[in-house]
Amino acid sequence: MSEQDARITQLQQQQALMTAALIAALEGRWQGAGSVEAYLYALDPTLQGQLIPDPPVLSS
Amino acid sequence: MSALIELDQLDQQQALLTDSLRKMLEGQWTGFPSLEANIQALDPGVELAPRPPVLESEAGPPAPSGWWADYDPNEGMPRQAYSWSCSACALAWVLRATRLDPNASEQSCIDAIGYPQNINPTYGLMDGSGSQLRRVVGDYGVTTGQAWLSYDACYATFADTTGMMSGGAIYHWVAVRGLTGDGQLWIANSAPGYCGVYDTLSRSQFNQWGPWSVVWLLH
Repeated sequence: MSEQDARITQLQQQQALMTAALIAALEGRWQGAGSVEAYLYALDPTLQGQLIPDPPVLSS
Repeated sequence: MSALIELDQLDQQQALLTDSLRKMLEGQWTGFPSLEANIQALDPGVELAPRPPVLESEAGPPAPSGWWADYDPNEGMPRQAYSWSCSACALAWVLRATRLDPNASEQSCIDAIGYPQNINPTYGLMDGSGSQLRRVVGDYGVTTGQAWLSYDACYATFADTTGMMSGGAIYHWVAVRGLTGDGQLWIANSAPGYCGVYDTLSRSQFNQWGPWSVVWLLH
């Protein structure tokens, strides 16, 4: 696989994680399993220990 | 524009989108730096009319309820009495730490899991995914989740709950107290020192001894 192909594959994977994270946000899953926080760690593992969550208050 | 330049631009946009998620999670919706600022960077011409949400820091976090209100991550973990009973010890720790059963013990959990059909000296816990551990917790009216998780997913999961996990290569169940604060999992280990694992599990240890079946409690 060329470097260009590898970068495209990585971007596709990141896009999939972004989409999943946006779904989690829409559904109010900000922390815990399958949450925005979890997908952020998958997108950028260096964020572990760096995030200071202050999520929205959920209406339900 | 060459393909490589286009890829560089996509990488930069992806980084901004990831940072935008972080801004949302951390409650930075408007101002600078913020989600709003990132959107302006992604699309300089866009007109925005932000209506940011009320944040937990403004409204106060929801009061813990149920077992989560009683959960004590500092609950003690005795050494296991048998070589094959780590899963029962992990389960007993969860039941005690959550106060679902303050008197839970290694032996009571061996019985609850089901000796010898579900746990025995030959194989330990028969179903390595933890289905019988989930059944026992479920008997207390608590719903659980289970998956074979990556370290990142596991770390995020135990920022907000407790549970149990077993590595396929270490063949050992531990309970999870939470996080250490320096990027590691904080575990309750009935066999401290086994395979070099004590009270914490780093990313490298996690990857060395996985894959991990993870059972977590919902609240």
